[in-house]
Amino acid sequence: MIIRSQADLESIRKRGLTKIQPNHPRIGIGVSSCGIAVGGMALYHRMQEIIQNNSHDILVVKSGCIGYCKEEPLVSVYIPGKSQILLHKVSIDDAERIISLACKGDIPQDLALCRIPDWDHITGNLVYGDGFESVPDYGEIPFFSHQKKVILRDCGLINPEDIDEYIGIGGYFAAFKALTSIPPDTIIEEVKKSGLRGRGGAGFPAGLKWEITKKAPGSEKFIVCNADEGDPGAYMNRNEMESDPHMLLEGMLIGAYGMDVHEGLIYIRAEYPLAIKRLTLALDQARAYGLLGKNILNSGFDFDIQIATGAGAFVCGESTALVASIEGKTGRPRLRPPRLTEKGVFGRPTDLNNVETWCNVPVIIGKGAAWYSAIGTKGNTGTKVFSLVGKVDNVGMVEVPLGTSLQTIIYDIGNGGALGKGVKAVQTGGPSGGCIPQRLFDTPVDFENLNKVGTMMGSGGLVVMDEDTNMVDIARYFINFASSESCGKCVPCREGLKHMLLILNRIIAGKGTQNDIKLLQELSDTVQKTSLCGLGQTAPNPVLTTLKYFIEEYDQLITPEGR
Amino acid sequence: MAVPGNNNRMVTITINKNQYLAEEGEIFLLTAIRHNIDIPHLCYEKALEPYGACRLCMVDVVTCGKTEMTPACTIRVHNGLEILTDTPQIIKHRNLLFELYLAEAPKSEVIKEMAAKYGVTKTRFLKKIVHDDPLQGKCILCGLCVRVCEEIMGNSAISFINRGPYTVINTPFYEHNPDCAGCAACARVCPTRAIVCEDIGESRVMHSWSETTVALVTCPECGKSFAPQRLMEKVLTKLEPGLIEKIKNLCPECRRKYFTRKEIHKIPLTDREP
Amino acid sequence: MDEKSLDEIIAQYASPSGRILGILREIQIQERHVPMDTLKLLSEKIEIPLSQLYSLVTFYSFFSLQRVGEHLITVCMGTPCHVKGAVKNLKVLQECLGISGESQDGKYLQTTPDNKFTVEIARCFGACSMAPVLQVDGDLYGYVIPEKIPEILEKYGWKR
Repeated sequence: MIIRSQADLESIRKRGLTKIQPNHPRIGIGVSSCGIAVGGMALYHRMQEIIQNNSHDILVVKSGCIGYCKEEPLVSVYIPGKSQILLHKVSIDDAERIISLACKGDIPQDLALCRIPDWDHITGNLVYGDGFESVPDYGEIPFFSHQKKVILRDCGLINPEDIDEYIGIGGYFAAFKALTSIPPDTIIEEVKKSGLRGRGGAGFPAGLKWEITKKAPGSEKFIVCNADEGDPGAYMNRNEMESDPHMLLEGMLIGAYGMDVHEGLIYIRAEYPLAIKRLTLALDQARAYGLLGKNILNSGFDFDIQIATGAGAFVCGESTALVASIEGKTGRPRLRPPRLTEKGVFGRPTDLNNVETWCNVPVIIGKGAAWYSAIGTKGNTGTKVFSLVGKVDNVGMVEVPLGTSLQTIIYDIGNGGALGKGVKAVQTGGPSGGCIPQRLFDTPVDFENLNKVGTMMGSGGLVVMDEDTNMVDIARYFINFASSESCGKCVPCREGLKHMLLILNRIIAGKGTQNDIKLLQELSDTVQKTSLCGLGQTAPNPVLTTLKYFIEEYDQLITPEGR
Repeated sequence: MAVPGNNNRMVTITINKNQYLAEEGEIFLLTAIRHNIDIPHLCYEKALEPYGACRLCMVDVVTCGKTEMTPACTIRVHNGLEILTDTPQIIKHRNLLFELYLAEAPKSEVIKEMAAKYGVTKTRFLKKIVHDDPLQGKCILCGLCVRVCEEIMGNSAISFINRGPYTVINTPFYEHNPDCAGCAACARVCPTRAIVCEDIGESRVMHSWSETTVALVTCPECGKSFAPQRLMEKVLTKLEPGLIEKIKNLCPECRRKYFTRKEIHKIPLTDREP
Repeated sequence: MDEKSLDEIIAQYASPSGRILGILREIQIQERHVPMDTLKLLSEKIEIPLSQLYSLVTFYSFFSLQRVGEHLITVCMGTPCHVKGAVKNLKVLQECLGISGESQDGKYLQTTPDNKFTVEIARCFGACSMAPVLQVDGDLYGYVIPEKIPEILEKYGWKR
């Protein structure tokens, strides 16, 4: 069926809603990559088997990940008219019990994590109902209560493999509104007004980049989604694509319309096979509804998206290397200018935005710039998704308004160190970022404030270090990472990082001297100032921040002879 | 792109607080060289697009009182451009880069001389030792050979292999590559003279490129082997077929003689010397 | 790889965006490495110089020139895995399988002499919540401790 009118879209919305809230029980199994690894898929198949063998009137569907990774596998149970219940740490042995209880309109209380009486998908509000009062409310769970879900609005609650469910909660309505009633320039104006900044790390105003792309001479242009999430410890984009792929496609569709671009690309890393699979499926479904292709929504606008896959190179997250990779070349960054907006994929003007940046677009257009910019702080509007990992108790995917303090994220949401250990530091921004000591945890998380303490936002990985973590080893880890992932084009990055690694190895082996620490500092400075691209320019940050905040750990490794 | 000497607009720029006239659009590195302002560089070649990999030509661009370090080979001259080439910061970083080069290409006399000129005579870094290095411990991976082979000659016989600190340049699978025309442009453009090739009898052997061997054309007149066959074929296709047949195997000297004879016959007798 | 299979792969990638890496990925998956002959044939067919294809294969970690063993074990080396013991896990794996920790060209890829297991490292799977993780033939194992490694290996026919 091709969607041509509001009525068409409404009819699919109704169908989608009956899939999310059927008149019989519905069980959703969290099967994103991590859910699968802890047995989610086995559980899904087991449940399918049971309901088929017994012809139960129960719907068992796949769902994405709600982000509470520590409690996986997570299962949602909806009994018509009652609160939706999240079950946690569900094992395959629980399958039979969950189903038989669901048949009777009940749930296994011992597995219940929380209840969801209603949910604001932002694009639409869903009321599930009351009941199961003895189970804590969603808002009473500290991991959830301090979060604000804008980007993760649907994750874990809808079936990512069914476009109807996305439309059911109001998806593609913003695109419909845009394509049928908003002039393209107004779309760009709205995104500019929202204050949305690039979520890939640099924080460049998204609307401005769109405007520059639109004004660039030439009629054949590209928009590209950077899904080469390479920072170790960051998996927000993976979860966004695996749990809610249509949110990304809708964002790109609206952006393409605003910029008058007809070709879209998603450059995704090879390490994310499930995200590739779900995106491919989502693209097919969108095409089947005429949400991609020719004359989309009967608006006369044509647009389609292709997937290009990476092949394992961190540097390809850098914009010019990413373009080279799409073109089938080695990912060696080139000099800028010209910027991509002028000369991008195959020499054509190209707008490149991160997955999460695109995911914000449908709600900005759906709810308006004013609504969006009220979230976060001035100059840092909206929310940001973080992967809270490492030695923290509540490991998971966290979304908070920009400007939230590290303290809130690590202690209120994360519940402090794992196994009751004290937290020493947090590492943000991947290999480009730095380690922030515990005493600076009142730092608000936004683009500028993280820069002030010597690190950066990056794509959103927060790796918590506890008292057992050796910070010099962390510095060495990151330099090893950056050196192995250096493309080798310019000498400071190729040779400079190699020698930094050799010096760090020497210090850790107890053979370092005070001169080595001085040389490390000197090298860091030169690599930072003279490298060609962002990889080299930011690679010394983990060393510089550990030297600044944890110099005593270096000193402890220097023997008396070395002093 | 503005080309110097093509009557581009002359503009005023400031280098190290002194004012100079320069052609708008010219690459600043060339402007500086013309005015005898010394900026070390290794990866720039006029015939190729700026590459910006050697990082030695970094200078400070002053804009509204703020400075930004930028490679001189990537800056285009415009009116009011202000550059500082020898601030303490620039010198400090440049010297450290020289130390890195001394460690990376410990056998290169060119690097040693260049570094010494700027006062850097030793390196604090561990020198790279490669046994049987086809590039004699002299390669600094500026990529000029790869770029000339691809962009100018259109052969792409060599390329970068691996990445990061493991990067090397050679032929695919480190074996004889038939794509090589034997033009030796790579050796000619190499700033550190790292590439070894040699004419042996009727062939040219690219020792550095996995002993890739190409046949040379031997002159039937004097019996000298003088140029790679494939290169000759390429050059000759641009001439008229009849002429090609006559000269295709002649060495440059015999060819010159042939053309001289031919030209002499064209000139009417009366115009010759009295 | 025979010519017909290669032609089929090439035909799948009509659009220029992502084409060359896509083709090479397909070859790597089907052949468990990128064979020299296939690369040469590909160079002729898509008219890209062999040196440039070789450059790609050696640049990107996904490709390997040596054939990957029957079971591919990928150890995640992301930061969360690192702080939770990935280095030790890798060492234990190397000991169990009797392979070296060395790398010649910057890519870590070691295969047992019987060609049964290949161990490689990955930068990050993005499965950080279960750190440390490793993957065997695409199956993810989370919360891996050194003691669990022999148990995992045995599932794939390894004997103590």
